[in-house]
Amino acid sequence: MADEELHVSDQDLLHAADGELPGGRTRRVRAHLAACWFCRTRLAELEATIADFVRVHRSTLDPQLPCAAGPRALLKSRLAHAATQSGVARWPKFLQFFFPRGSVAYVAVALLFLTMGSLPIIQHFALLSSSPLHPIESAAVPNRTLTPGATRPVSINDVCSIAHEEVVREVPAALRQQVLHEYGIAYARAQDYEIDFLIAPRLGGAEDIHNLWPEPYTLPTWNAHVKDALEEHLHQMVCQGSLDLRAAQRDISTDWIAAYKKYFHTERPLATSAAGEFDPADPAPENHGVISRARIDTAGQFVRPRRQIASYALAGT
Amino acid sequence: MLIPPRNFAAELSFPIPTPAAVSEKPCEIECEVISLFDQFRHPLLRYVLSFGLSVHDAEEVAQEVFLALFRHLQRGKSRRNLRGWIFRVAHNLALKQRAANKKLHAALDDDATVVQAKLDATPNPEEQMTSGQTLQRLRTVLRALPEQDRCCLALRAEGLRYREIAATLGISLGSVSFSLTRSLARLGSAEKGLRYGR
Ligand SMILES: [Zn+2]
Repeated sequence: MADEELHVSDQDLLHAADGELPGGRTRRVRAHLAACWFCRTRLAELEATIADFVRVHRSTLDPQLPCAAGPRALLKSRLAHAATQSGVARWPKFLQFFFPRGSVAYVAVALLFLTMGSLPIIQHFALLSSSPLHPIESAAVPNRTLTPGATRPVSINDVCSIAHEEVVREVPAALRQQVLHEYGIAYARAQDYEIDFLIAPRLGGAEDIHNLWPEPYTLPTWNAHVKDALEEHLHQMVCQGSLDLRAAQRDISTDWIAAYKKYFHTERPLATSAAGEFDPADPAPENHGVISRARIDTAGQFVRPRRQIASYALAGT
Repeated sequence: MLIPPRNFAAELSFPIPTPAAVSEKPCEIECEVISLFDQFRHPLLRYVLSFGLSVHDAEEVAQEVFLALFRHLQRGKSRRNLRGWIFRVAHNLALKQRAANKKLHAALDDDATVVQAKLDATPNPEEQMTSGQTLQRLRTVLRALPEQDRCCLALRAEGLRYREIAATLGISLGSVSFSLTRSLARLGSAEKGLRYGR
């Protein structure tokens, strides 16, 4: 017999269905359900509603889900980068414990490295450590120590079937911050720079701190548009088979201006390359993909602000 | 022809002394994160998309979540309830991203219409054959639910237990239970109303 008052409450019914009933009540509710057709029907209806909800949830969202291959590969490369990054980051932090702040610490670090006999490393860390005090003026050509260029494993096919979206791939905010920090560019001045790939993604360049540098927007001659033209030209040559991919990577990373002169047979940027719709005075930097301010959330993550221009679309979209 | 990976900074690499505290090899953690990515990417994207974010933004949020997870594990933090942790970070990032988008588009368009358009997605043929009307009705009811109720439902649909939902949303266990009960009652009565022509 099932008195109205003794029927299972909606909440308990759901808890029973979800296996969330507190231990003591489980048996009592089960016993009631066994005895009461009315409550069993309610349970069945509840399950049907849940099933319908799940169908709505899935049918609305599942068709939007892109294929996992691209994002998976991207995450892998970012993880690989994060793994190396944390190794480097941990070391100075570890030393800061002994030498809290000040140039004395950096001299000490430099001396330590000297005894280890790793000259390039000294330069790298000297640049890194001096950054808050002496910004390294970035120019048309990046600092070779900080930005020697880095590539990812790609086949010619990969490079030549690359989607346009991939060409204008955007650098994640956290990585942009690292690059700016490495070059000692103050947060306030970040808007004046574009974080550019030295070896372009369409030439197999990696999204790696060693392949990124802050390129000033206000360069009159050898600017990002000129470099874009070179990248496109090299990309075409590689895909037509008239240039080896490795040679293209090497030339653009060694001195892209020299490469431009070599491949375009000119001493000055060609008129078509220098002309661009970019206007450095545009007050809305998001509109042409400049660094926008990164924000830090509670989990300590940088959040990349959305931009007007659709940036890269991941594979499968 | 496959070009082997080449790091022009190779000459910079040298063995970096790591503190003894970091016992685990990063490779193991990377593999673990990738396997969690494989497991949770779809649930996570669905959840983030339910905030009305674009697929591109959702994908980027997912990337940030797993990068954060990597650092979380790398720092030797707790492995307990990783699923709850993943959804909690995703929830926070999704809210941040949506707020940023709103700010950016405030002058341009109304975000609400974007969300609306997504929830009004054309039903697929299978849906239309079976109970298209019911599902359409449910969509309308869902849209009218308070956001927290929608979040509870979406998280439960992705398999989270009540305490995980509570932790993700920062609310009490009782609130989760109450929210789910109330939402399902509303959805249920909408279905019934349809069934009995009310
Ligand atoms: Zn009953």
